[in-house]
Amino acid sequence: MRQGTIQNKESFLNNIAEKLGRERKTSGVERPSYQKQPQWDIMADYTTDQLVDVLKEQCTAIHTDVRETNIDGLAAVIDNVMKEYGAEKASIWDDPRFVEYGLAPFVERPDVNIWGSAPDEDDIKITEQADVGITFSDYTLAESGTVVLMNGGGKGQSVSLLPTYYIALIPLSTIVPRMSQVNKKIHEEAKAGHRVPSCINFISGPSNSADIELNLVVGVHGPVRACYILIDDR
Amino acid sequence: MKVSLFITCLGDVFYPGVGKDMVELLERHGCEIDFPENQTCCGQPAYNSGYHKDTKKAAKHMINTFEHANAVVTPSGSCAAMLKEYPQLLEDEPKWKEKAEALAEKTYELTQFLYRVLHVTNTGAFLEAKATYHTSCHMTRLLGEKEAPFQLLSNVKGLQLKDLPNKQNCCGFGGTFAVKMTSISEQMVDEKVNHVEETEADILIGADSGCLMNIGGRMNRKNKPIKVMHIAQVLNSREA
Amino acid sequence: MPMKIGERSFESRVNKGLDDSYMRETVREAQGRLHTNKAKAEEDLGQWEEWRTLSEEIRSHTLENLDFYLEQLSENVVKNGGHVFFAQTAEEANEYVKEVAAKKEANKIIKSKSMVTEEISMNDALERAGCEVIESDLGEYILQIDDHDPPSHIVAPALHKNKEQIRETFERLKGYDKTSKPEELTQFAREQLRQEFLEADIGITGCNFAVAESGSVALVTNEGNARLATTIPKTQISVMGMERIVPTWEELDVLVSMLCRSAVGQKLTSYVTGLSGPREEGDLDGPEEFHLVIVDNGRSNILGTAFQSALHCIRCAACINVCPIYRHVGGHSYGSIYPGPIGAVLSPLLEGYEDHKDLPYASSLCAACTDACPVKIPLHELLIEHRKVIAEKEKKTSIGERYAMKGFGLAASSPGLFQMAAKTAPYMLSPFSKDGFIEKGPGPLSGWTDVRSFPAPEKERFRDWFKNRKKEDS
Repeated sequence: MRQGTIQNKESFLNNIAEKLGRERKTSGVERPSYQKQPQWDIMADYTTDQLVDVLKEQCTAIHTDVRETNIDGLAAVIDNVMKEYGAEKASIWDDPRFVEYGLAPFVERPDVNIWGSAPDEDDIKITEQADVGITFSDYTLAESGTVVLMNGGGKGQSVSLLPTYYIALIPLSTIVPRMSQVNKKIHEEAKAGHRVPSCINFISGPSNSADIELNLVVGVHGPVRACYILIDDR
Repeated sequence: MKVSLFITCLGDVFYPGVGKDMVELLERHGCEIDFPENQTCCGQPAYNSGYHKDTKKAAKHMINTFEHANAVVTPSGSCAAMLKEYPQLLEDEPKWKEKAEALAEKTYELTQFLYRVLHVTNTGAFLEAKATYHTSCHMTRLLGEKEAPFQLLSNVKGLQLKDLPNKQNCCGFGGTFAVKMTSISEQMVDEKVNHVEETEADILIGADSGCLMNIGGRMNRKNKPIKVMHIAQVLNSREA
Repeated sequence: MPMKIGERSFESRVNKGLDDSYMRETVREAQGRLHTNKAKAEEDLGQWEEWRTLSEEIRSHTLENLDFYLEQLSENVVKNGGHVFFAQTAEEANEYVKEVAAKKEANKIIKSKSMVTEEISMNDALERAGCEVIESDLGEYILQIDDHDPPSHIVAPALHKNKEQIRETFERLKGYDKTSKPEELTQFAREQLRQEFLEADIGITGCNFAVAESGSVALVTNEGNARLATTIPKTQISVMGMERIVPTWEELDVLVSMLCRSAVGQKLTSYVTGLSGPREEGDLDGPEEFHLVIVDNGRSNILGTAFQSALHCIRCAACINVCPIYRHVGGHSYGSIYPGPIGAVLSPLLEGYEDHKDLPYASSLCAACTDACPVKIPLHELLIEHRKVIAEKEKKTSIGERYAMKGFGLAASSPGLFQMAAKTAPYMLSPFSKDGFIEKGPGPLSGWTDVRSFPAPEKERFRDWFKNRKKEDS
């Protein structure tokens, strides 16, 4: 891997230690055992069905459409949503789950571009021109209506960002209460010395802005509309 | 129970009536009133202006003045909060800090003392009026007392209490702020007066004379026919 | 003086703010809405005080061990294949970014919202070096095309403008021909900016939180512009204030939860993005080169002082959104890119008292800010601390005030003097009294009576009444 560089570290950090009135600390710092940790109490004993209810309610707050189906019905639901949005061209992840969830025929379609398959590495351009980007969710947060995408390789970060619309395919097995559970996993990976994916997205609905008189406008630089398709894979 | 009264500067010179009502009120609930004559000011004007050396002089004097007291009760949430600030102010002087902590521990704002120490919820007051209550910033945020005044007011016979819109907003007093940043303070007090008017109340009640002096002064200037009363006066009102 | 906005005096800025009824109406409404949203978010979350306690503990632990965590962060960025530059000053940071731009032969640079780059005037430095710098946050974009109007709020930078003013700016400078509907204005900005993203050579972002354990930068946004700026350009530069760091992803969870709720009342913003170094082998998007610039610019001088907790700030603007002063005078009156209570605390610390000496007094000390702060910075106490420095250390208050306070200290500690003053007050003021009120007071009292009536002192003080009553009793 390419090796990075660091400049001016010693003088900068020595100055901080001096201002803090002590010697430099280069080891031995442990996180405190925090007295209060309310994050773990939230929805701790919820069943998947309860988490799904929370997720669906949150989706109304974040202007996100929700469809519910199972593996057998998935292809038809995707078709319907695309029709409803007036979307034809799709850009999708290169992700084995598409086949596992019975979407092999969908993936084969000519107006579906699989990330990484474009000639001359033109995936960004093609995805930018796509009507809809479709990805699976790696983890799904009930509390905030969030899909978590561990990007990398065939899982291009552009797919959930550049097209006009975004569809997230959410197997119910990916649902957890909140960010705490996912971040704990990432923390454990990092602690074990593994590299964290270079881009992790927590996406909660379509892009929006409230910069003009605090009026919420849905659809700014990212997708203007988002749909979560919940797949009962139990 | 013997109670030492800290009357505050405003209470002594400008609003002695508040103190009189307070004395009657506490006596009716079985207290014996002690008034240490040497008491001066809590020191807040100097403290908030950043003159902490000068504030310390006032603080030490007040600590001595009330050293003998079982409980110190004052008709101001703001001044009570200031007395509770002394331990931090005198942090570098361990002996004084200890004394300051003792004072802080036994200091109460009037309604707080009635409700939390004497466990009074009904003072037997009667006041036929439509009123609204201004929750002063220092009382709610620094002293942390959000409940006592409402508990006590809710049992005043004949009193119709209207919720003050945006009651969490400062009235624009802020001690020297009112004279240093007059134009901003004016906008703040106007906003408060507008909210008071929206309630259509005849009386504005408060537990801090500073705020009442500010809002009342502005209403007087603008010829608003709304009367201002300290909560001690309301809780001591009796059937004619 | 990069943080400082303009040369007008504090008083003239305030008067301008007070006269701007458009701005005041917009700000008032915005504060009301943000307050309601935050209150609801607090209630939905539950145990808000416990969350605050935890957040404060995280921030203070991290700052106490800042050298350790910054070292861990920088080593992990390098492990990921990124570059780290520690910049002691604004100039050093800007020089480094200019060097990267030169090396990349960059013409076009797209930026997502960042307060620290505002603070160090990075755009200005890059533009002088011949780069085109485009702000992509909708609010920042509006300000940039309107002749670099400075931000008036740290989360919603164009809060002081109403939609009609924005329409007019778009029409005048960008040929916009639609209505002032926010939807249409926003759509226009999307179209204008999309092409810029695709063409940009470098994407520059701020950093909401860096994560030490993995060398990551977390960006918290709604619009998606920060994602675009870090997805398409081949080079990414993230600039962070050195205190914006958490030990691990677990702390990131807590602080992001608090930031989103406190800033806009959302559970999470539309996008929370964790970026760890440049793209990996086999990736087809994301930057090929990643630079992290860690900026001190005066922050280390705050460490180890009574003001250290000011560095706990997570830039949520909750204090600004409840501040009555801000509501009436607007952000520009503060004369700093950091307005409101946190701005009044930070600006003098980062840039000195000379230009910002009025700010610590622009507060009624109502403590609404302290109450609102998700990481429990005692903001109103820090304002008093500033006043203490100005009065006792810098001795920059007026001689009159200093004598008055000395006199006060003397009187308040000697009952005889104090009572004499109290006793004489009614006589001193009696010539000014009428019907129990004073309409025009002398000296410093005039500031009061310009606006309000002042109560006339009663003839009988409480203490006299009490004494007489006791006598009668016995």
